Amino acid sequence: MSAFTEYLITGIARGLVFALLATGFVLIYRVTRVVNFAQGAFAVFGGLLTFSLLRAGIPQGVSEVLAVLAVAVIGLIFGVITIAGKIPLLSSLIITIGLAMLSEAVAMLVWGSIPISYSGLAGHDFVILGAVVQRQYLLVLIVSLVLFGSMALLFDRTYFGKAMTACASNAYAAKLSGINVKRMGLLAFVLGGALGGIGGALLTPVEPMTYNADVSLSILGFAAAIVGGLTSPGLAVAGGLVFGLTEQFVSGYWSPSYDTAVALALLIVVLLWQARRMRLEGLE
Amino acid sequence: MSERMRSSIVLSLAVVIGLSTLALPLVLSSSDVEIYVTIGLATIVVTGLSLLMGFAGQVSLGQAAFYGVGAYTAGIMAVHHWPSLVALMAAPIAAGVIAFVIGVPLLRLKGHALVFSTLAFQLILLVVIENTSFLTGGAIGLSGIPALRIGPLAISTGKDYAYLVWVVAVAVLLITRNLTRSRPGRALRAMAITASGASAAGIAVESYKLKDFTLSAAYAGIAGGIYVFFIGYISPDAFPVTLSIEFVIMVVVGGIGTVSGAFVGAAVVTVISQVLTSLGTSPSLPPDLPTVLSLGVYALILIIILRLIPAGVVGTLSDLWKKTKPSASASGPVDTTGRSVLGPAVQAKDG
Repeated sequence: MSAFTEYLITGIARGLVFALLATGFVLIYRVTRVVNFAQGAFAVFGGLLTFSLLRAGIPQGVSEVLAVLAVAVIGLIFGVITIAGKIPLLSSLIITIGLAMLSEAVAMLVWGSIPISYSGLAGHDFVILGAVVQRQYLLVLIVSLVLFGSMALLFDRTYFGKAMTACASNAYAAKLSGINVKRMGLLAFVLGGALGGIGGALLTPVEPMTYNADVSLSILGFAAAIVGGLTSPGLAVAGGLVFGLTEQFVSGYWSPSYDTAVALALLIVVLLWQARRMRLEGLE
Repeated sequence: MSERMRSSIVLSLAVVIGLSTLALPLVLSSSDVEIYVTIGLATIVVTGLSLLMGFAGQVSLGQAAFYGVGAYTAGIMAVHHWPSLVALMAAPIAAGVIAFVIGVPLLRLKGHALVFSTLAFQLILLVVIENTSFLTGGAIGLSGIPALRIGPLAISTGKDYAYLVWVVAVAVLLITRNLTRSRPGRALRAMAITASGASAAGIAVESYKLKDFTLSAAYAGIAGGIYVFFIGYISPDAFPVTLSIEFVIMVVVGGIGTVSGAFVGAAVVTVISQVLTSLGTSPSLPPDLPTVLSLGVYALILIIILRLIPAGVVGTLSDLWKKTKPSASASGPVDTTGRSVLGPAVQAKDG
């Protein structure tokens, strides 16, 4: 029972981090139609920057916030490089692959190739259903739920959120009604960066971060996002949980060498299901 | 300059490049012959990928996986005493069949889906290879691969492989060039400009995309097959995700959708990678440096080219070349490289 609970909790925590990345994918895709391959790099920077700030003596909490703000700025820079000016969509997509590589190079240069971690939320571990659980998992849960809630409010209740939805559904009409679509795209990159940064800062204490963790984070974040067809933030959260749990249960009950492979096979299944759905609904 | 003169210049340039590359293995040192073979193999893979990116508007991040499928197919068959030529022929077939099977459903999705699903395919393939040691040698690798024999001819030295690769690369380039100028080629061009328009004109867009994807995988497969006989040993480490990205970079450097760009991109990127490796590996330097350098330089090349000269080296040169034309007769498909379709090709996708 305790092993099951442990897989369940780590699976949910990882799944929520995937969901944070997935929400970033969805935000950026809805406004710009670009699938940002560098999404995982935001999480890597979030974790590694927090580590450096903590080492510099900046208190916990402040470090995380500063790191997330820095990653939001990185998001803005990535956004400018990816979508500024007149650029074909295919080029934007390939540029994000380049940005992911560039991030790996920078992260390796600054932080080296050894996995990096720091202690998370202080306090005693607690016991749920026979499993010893670090407090950090609780923090992951609370922060992500608050974020998903506020994202929902942002989109439903604010001018900014509505403008963003307008860009997503019809960029041309949005432009006609005075919305600056490019600027909204850049804002999506800033938000996507911040969400990824938060995910990384939350994940690093329970799972050491390396310079090249971005590929698996990107692909699983994308997997979560594709569950909602890249446009639904709610389904993306559900997708994150599905992939996080699948990975942990495969790793726990079968073999750790198959966890990613099974999750990726599931990704292909979801893609096929989406292809079928699009075909049936004539959404192509 | 008259039209006739221009085309004869292009033709003689191609002949000069062809002959000089043909003579090159005779004078190269053995380590340079290895680079020569690497460039040739990359040209074969990149020609297919360029066709896929330029005409079907799809990016595959799993081209190294198809390269690996080819290598492992040929390697495993050769180790099990199949005739080596049969093993080599099976390599592109295996890669093509797998691409066809996964392409049928996946190509229905928009561009980004193929990026991630081919990447996922590659990562899964690597796990499968590592966990089927009885067949593939697992993480340790597959060794004891015999030399290639074509009839009575044993292909064993580096120079032999240099010529084999040259012949296959030229064949692949010619097939692709003829393909882009024939009826399927025109269909692909129409698709590249507007998929829905092409579809309305009766072009079976889905089917052409699938054939394009299958062909690009088969090219990667044959290159992988030659690679395994050349190296004589393979392990999963030979087919990392960065290799797939490297192929994409070669396409972008040469110019997306240009046939001759495949060779230029493969040559430029391979040489840069060799220079970086020799620069970065010095005992006095930190051991991480080669990786940092190659990742960073590749990334910068990719970003800078796409932002500043999106047509790639060959595309940009051929644009400049066209500007020297006395009377710009815009009628008819005069473009020999497929370059003119690039802009609309990539803009029309996914929109």
